[in-house]
Amino acid sequence: MSYETQLAQFIISGITTGSIYALIALGFCIIHNATGIVNFAQVDFVSLGGLMMYTLLLSLGLPLIPAFALAVAAVTAVGALVERLAIRPARSRAIIVLIFITIGVSIFMRGGFKVLWGKNQMALPHFSGESPLVILGAAVLPQSLWILFITLAVVVLLHFFFTRTRIGKAIRATSYNPRAAALMGVNVNRMILFSFALSGALGAVAGIIIVPITTLSYEIGVMLGLKGFAAAVLGGYGNSIGAVIGGLLLGVLESLGAGLISSTYKDVMAFAILVTVLFVKPSGLLGYGDSERR
Amino acid sequence: MAREFPAKKLPVSLITLAAAIALFPAFTQNPYYLNVANIIGLNTIVVVGLNLLIGYAGQISLGHAAFYGLGAYISGVLTVTYNVSPWIALATAVCVTAVLALLIGIPTLKLHGHYLVMATLGLNLIINIIMVQWDNVTGGPSGFPGIPNLSIGNWAFDSDLKMYCLIWGVVFVAIVLALNLVHSRPGRALRALHGSELAASCFGVDTKSYKVKIFVLSAIYASLAGSLYAHYLTFISPKTFDIFFSVELVTMVIVGGMGSIWGVLFGTIFLTSLPNVLHFFDEYKDIIYGLILVLILIFMPQGVGVAIRERWWKRGESERRVAPAPIPAARGEHAFAGNRASKPLATTPSDPILQIRNVSLNFGGLMALADVSCDIPGGAITALIGPNGAGKTTMINVISGIHRRRRGTIRFGVTDTHGLNPYRVAKMGVARTFQNVELFDHMSVLENVMLGMHAGTRNEFLHSMFRLPGFAPEEKHIELKSWEALSFVGLASKGYFPAYSLSFGEQKRLEMARALVAAPKLVLLDEPVAGLNMTESLEIARLITEIRCRGISVLLVEHDMNVVMKISDKIIVLNFGNKIAEGLPEEIQKNEAVLSAYLGGVA
Repeated sequence: MSYETQLAQFIISGITTGSIYALIALGFCIIHNATGIVNFAQVDFVSLGGLMMYTLLLSLGLPLIPAFALAVAAVTAVGALVERLAIRPARSRAIIVLIFITIGVSIFMRGGFKVLWGKNQMALPHFSGESPLVILGAAVLPQSLWILFITLAVVVLLHFFFTRTRIGKAIRATSYNPRAAALMGVNVNRMILFSFALSGALGAVAGIIIVPITTLSYEIGVMLGLKGFAAAVLGGYGNSIGAVIGGLLLGVLESLGAGLISSTYKDVMAFAILVTVLFVKPSGLLGYGDSERR
Repeated sequence: MAREFPAKKLPVSLITLAAAIALFPAFTQNPYYLNVANIIGLNTIVVVGLNLLIGYAGQISLGHAAFYGLGAYISGVLTVTYNVSPWIALATAVCVTAVLALLIGIPTLKLHGHYLVMATLGLNLIINIIMVQWDNVTGGPSGFPGIPNLSIGNWAFDSDLKMYCLIWGVVFVAIVLALNLVHSRPGRALRALHGSELAASCFGVDTKSYKVKIFVLSAIYASLAGSLYAHYLTFISPKTFDIFFSVELVTMVIVGGMGSIWGVLFGTIFLTSLPNVLHFFDEYKDIIYGLILVLILIFMPQGVGVAIRERWWKRGESERRVAPAPIPAARGEHAFAGNRASKPLATTPSDPILQIRNVSLNFGGLMALADVSCDIPGGAITALIGPNGAGKTTMINVISGIHRRRRGTIRFGVTDTHGLNPYRVAKMGVARTFQNVELFDHMSVLENVMLGMHAGTRNEFLHSMFRLPGFAPEEKHIELKSWEALSFVGLASKGYFPAYSLSFGEQKRLEMARALVAAPKLVLLDEPVAGLNMTESLEIARLITEIRCRGISVLLVEHDMNVVMKISDKIIVLNFGNKIAEGLPEEIQKNEAVLSAYLGGVA
């Protein structure tokens, strides 16, 4: 393979995983904007998406599209439940307490997944075959195209949702100033609930579309999720456009780093970038308005 | 939140702890229990350090498993591969970890917000991956065996019981040092910056430096525990030091009760033994662990240890404790005199204490201060008045170093204060109060005032932790002066109350005591009587005139014209960032420009 094709190969696979990081990073951002916290249960939304897909598709034998829709719906509901059962009843609004509640939820969920699905590795079929297409001399799995297409669709829909719909605008208003939003008649608690549900959906989509390429296990979301977190910081924590750019950039840099420098330290790459960003430009590539909003 | 007020009961709890440590092996010598106890001890060392960072400085680290692991791996590799003495290896590990913490802490802690948590999370993941991948040095995923026991001469710490004595001995010392630190000048500074970073820095606390120091100290605790771990188990593997363990350590702090050393001791014992108990539930143990964690955090967010204490032990304690019997006469000649370490301000009697020349500042397009020049005379009360939005508070903030001015100079005595941080301005002898009261809510009234002495006093980390000679006299001096200041403002009877429990009027007076306790050369009072009733206002006005009698210059921002006209020696009037008048009270009352600014006429 020529150097150029090799490069194209790395970049395409980087964009593929980068899309996943972007979706996860978006989930982190939405909850951060609504509540000011980092929701560590996000990583388990990713795992649960894949696990639900496995059950619906293989154990129950549903066709692809209904299985996809049901899996996303299920995780969306779980996201809402997390807010309703663990975040809303909390007696303290201190950020650190809420963050550690999400960590407790994460441990709980992961423990549950281990009981329900076991510790073994599982595999999901690709959406449409596994024979690679050749683009610019690089071999590209059809699943990669699915990932790119679905990510793009989600980002466009999300943009539409936040700028054009009543609920989307209300969620944004809540994130800018919850008290003012409440005084204007926005049900702030419900917006926070929607934010969790939406993050659940995003995590689920990310999990469902990536597991055919990787393998599936009860903790598949952990490493992906932490890298999604790094991507969110890279883009400017809380900034949605930054999250997408950060995700794609992180995916490409990681893939190039693994391909051209050393694959042993592939996982170090993302976190080294995270730490570097915090040292050099802590507000991230695109920055964000107000890091101390609460 | 930090809740431990200086408690005279400390020795009792320490004796209880020492007795519990000593008696445990008398009840059981079962190696399993001793092993669990040892692991609890090691975790306690890390958690006590981490609690100083989280509970006192308000910063979270998700990298302490990495520091723990660095201690373990550096000790392991140096002793096995390079045949270094375990004690030297332990010291090396501590140094390396401290330097690493410094390198992480300096860039991230100078920022506001939770950057440390993100940086340390990244650091932990990186260090853990290196432990796994760098296998020719670290032994890779399968671990690093054959680490020797610690020994003194030929006598080795080679049994669970011997290690129990060593580990819990270290735990005891670690707790004593942490308590010493908490109940000292740097300890108060840490709690203060957690409560209000702004107010802390205005009383001379170099907040960034303190945050970095406490982070490094907590990393040292972790590294030390890690080295002990390596020499105790003689085998280490990367799994022990992953990000999940970092999370677990922080959880121990939160569940126990942030800021309470006894609380986190409970949290550590509880959460370290919990998995051993839940072992019986086998595959359900993670679910139960997660559930317990979530329930505790939802229903007892202040921590189990603290909740228990508040519920049963210390209820009403602050009400029962009273000020020490003979409070020195506040109106005596000693109050506020001669307790400042710095040299006298270099001025001649005719000089103004503060010369403000052509100071301008804008926020975006808004000109908050436009080319303002004026003199603040020494030993007098100067009032700065003007309609809302005139730039009065902005001027106070510029003087105290919170806002960096765009143009102009401010001379304090003969020194230009350009570019100085609030804490440096404070060290020159400028103290202040705040328009929206900025007290350290969860510290006691007395401690709030004691913090006011920060700028002129010296005890630092080492002095405080090891109670070095010179510590006690200074601490006693600080406390004495603080009681004096409290009785000056009439709050001595509330010294042990938490500051948040005071009424608004009392809070205003507490702010005055905090500003005056160090006998500043200049005190900036930002609306001291706003929101007070007539009687309270008159009392404050009386206090202000009394401050002047002690030779302290006062710059007063105030809307209450009765007070201003009665007590001021000089008045400066601002409007829309411009100085429109300055002079004696009776001149200002007749000034056309001032009248039209206040009455809204055409200027």
